[in-house]
Amino acid sequence: MQEHKPLKLTHVACCVCETDDAMPVGVGEDFEYRTSADTFLAMQCNSCGLVYLNPRPAVSEFERIYPENYHAFDFSEADFGFVHKVRSRLEAKRLLTLCQDLPDDARILDVGCGDGFHLNLLRKYGKKSWTLEGVDVDKRAAEMAERSGLTVHVGSIEALDLAESSYDLAIMFQTIEHVEKPEKVLSAVMKVLKPGGKLVVVTDNTDSLDFKFFKGSYWGGYHFPRHWNLFNSASLSSLAKKCGFRVYDMTTQVSPVNWVYSIHNGLVDQGAPSFLIDQFTLKSTLSLSAFTSLDMFLNKFGRGALLRATLQK
Amino acid sequence: MKTEKPIAIIGAGLAGLTAANYLNRRNVPFVLYEAGKKIAGLASSFKDAEGFSYDFGAHFITNRLAAAIGVSADCRIVKHYGEKVWLGGKTYSYPFGLVKIPRMALGGIKSKFASNGQAPRSAAEWFRKSYGRALADEVALPLIEAWSGARAEDLSAAVGESLPGSIGKTLYLKAASRATGRAVACGYSREMPESAGVYHVYPNGGVATLCEKLAEGLEDKIKLESPVSEILVENEKVVGIKALGETHEVSAVISTAPANILVKLVRGTDALDAFGGFRYRPMVFINLKFDGRALLSDTVMWFPEKRFPFFRLTEATISMPWLAPPGKTIITADIGCEKGDEIWEMEEAELASMCLKSITKIIPDAPARYLGYNVLRTPIAYPVFLNKYEDARRAFENTTNIKNLLSIGRNGEFAHIFMEDVYWRTLNKLRELVEIST
Repeated sequence: MQEHKPLKLTHVACCVCETDDAMPVGVGEDFEYRTSADTFLAMQCNSCGLVYLNPRPAVSEFERIYPENYHAFDFSEADFGFVHKVRSRLEAKRLLTLCQDLPDDARILDVGCGDGFHLNLLRKYGKKSWTLEGVDVDKRAAEMAERSGLTVHVGSIEALDLAESSYDLAIMFQTIEHVEKPEKVLSAVMKVLKPGGKLVVVTDNTDSLDFKFFKGSYWGGYHFPRHWNLFNSASLSSLAKKCGFRVYDMTTQVSPVNWVYSIHNGLVDQGAPSFLIDQFTLKSTLSLSAFTSLDMFLNKFGRGALLRATLQK
Repeated sequence: MKTEKPIAIIGAGLAGLTAANYLNRRNVPFVLYEAGKKIAGLASSFKDAEGFSYDFGAHFITNRLAAAIGVSADCRIVKHYGEKVWLGGKTYSYPFGLVKIPRMALGGIKSKFASNGQAPRSAAEWFRKSYGRALADEVALPLIEAWSGARAEDLSAAVGESLPGSIGKTLYLKAASRATGRAVACGYSREMPESAGVYHVYPNGGVATLCEKLAEGLEDKIKLESPVSEILVENEKVVGIKALGETHEVSAVISTAPANILVKLVRGTDALDAFGGFRYRPMVFINLKFDGRALLSDTVMWFPEKRFPFFRLTEATISMPWLAPPGKTIITADIGCEKGDEIWEMEEAELASMCLKSITKIIPDAPARYLGYNVLRTPIAYPVFLNKYEDARRAFENTTNIKNLLSIGRNGEFAHIFMEDVYWRTLNKLRELVEIST
């Protein structure tokens, strides 16, 4: 569904360096949801390497750029079957590794919890004594998470009045790239973490091979126009330090999604037949498994598609 | 920036407005002085009563530039762009079709082996060395001479060096263009990398749309019909400007005036004198309106042979069908001239009939299709890179010799740059200026 009214756009600077000294790296459209007829520009900061959308939609356009059928709002077992199962297993394993040192009375906060996918996994596979909470700006997502019995604070973490120094662990999975002011969000998380508490950030990696191949236009990680800031290890470390965190660990994580979506976007743009495009979506088992294997190999060399930073207060 | 004094921007074209927009976003005080009644400068276009649109010369806008300015949703995609050369009554695709002519290919190969290791000292040497003698002497050099009005021996080698990149890249971009059905930019963006995802677009409201978007919200800071008559320099620093007889203190000046005019505006220094001799080539554009479409075999056709009065014909509707009413077209003939010469002084009707006569050699039924004409003249169409001021020109690429005086834009930089280049280069120069003065 394409709306022809142009989006209201605003110009921004690099959120890490606070300058706008950048080179264009990619130009593309909303290949996935076609929420507007605009073309968007990804700029790369000349000092820190941050890739950011500039100009980007005004915050008032949120409703439009996140349509009803946006996938983060309903990654259900019914719709995503086998892929859902595999992903749940994999994510559960990852989550439990992150949580292995947590005490019995740990409080865990999922910032940008969406429909509660990760919190539900923790509830299912983690210790029953843990307190699990989520934060999300989107009411629709939060409602879905609440429906499954989770505690969700609706609003942005910097505006919510959560108790200071009260959480042992915060996770931000594929969230930092969506937020308006990453530095404000990280600082807010810093405040609510207990001293020594950790924040795990997972986000698209711009030091990956898929970025290198597809950055001109089709890279899945651009997710035009919804990903506003995209990091590599250097820019994410700089931002974390700026917000007062210690970088405890910085590594990459396997994901086939950006590979699959880069190809998807290319095919859509070239007007490929839909049966071919359908082979490259979150529902296509074959391409997801093939690119998982490829990315597992790349991950061995620290070039996985996702960046995972463990930051400590 | 701490200073209370504003920066003066001279000229409200693409470059001046890009500068204004940049300063506005950073809350740096400025005033933009425009001599004309409206904004847009070289980027203005107009439509006649019959529905034909005219731009001042061809403009190459990419989707990347449109996205950067924020007008992409109001643009149409240009589906095709191509160039051909007319030689000996035949058309050849440019540049690779010409290689099919044996003597051209042979000359090219010979030149690769005959290199004496010396850097070329003129455009003539550069083209003979890079393209071979036949291609240089029969195609490239006559075109460059007609376009610049100077002998190829007197032009600097930089004329050639500024031409597009490698053969491999060109072939790739042309193939991408065919595959995607979009006019992928090839040789029309020098500042930023070219790729299959960067293609030509055209704003629904004409080229001026870009300027209008940049000017949004700046209305109070743009002074129309306010030509700047003097730029006042003290101790090698700009301190003020004079406009409409009044003097205003400024912290810097950003000029988009042609380089040789800028030299005349500056008072109190001789630091710019070396740039006073820079020459621009005047040009007459004769727009001929016809019944029919795709009368030429491609958007742009080059005419190196002297028997044609023009060196280039452009049928813009092949790339941008919306520029003329359905079933009709415009062909623009470009003739280089000097102010006051026979062409410059010629009556419009006479120019039109002269061009029509020549076009009939290419389109035999042109007279039957002919609907009328429209003539545009500009005294500053292209910068001419003469060898005699090459050192000064190179110096001018980096500085005006006055730290707080910038010269930006196509005419201001005295450079063969396209719209997107103007945009990025202006931003880079502004960034430097604002950082220095902060």
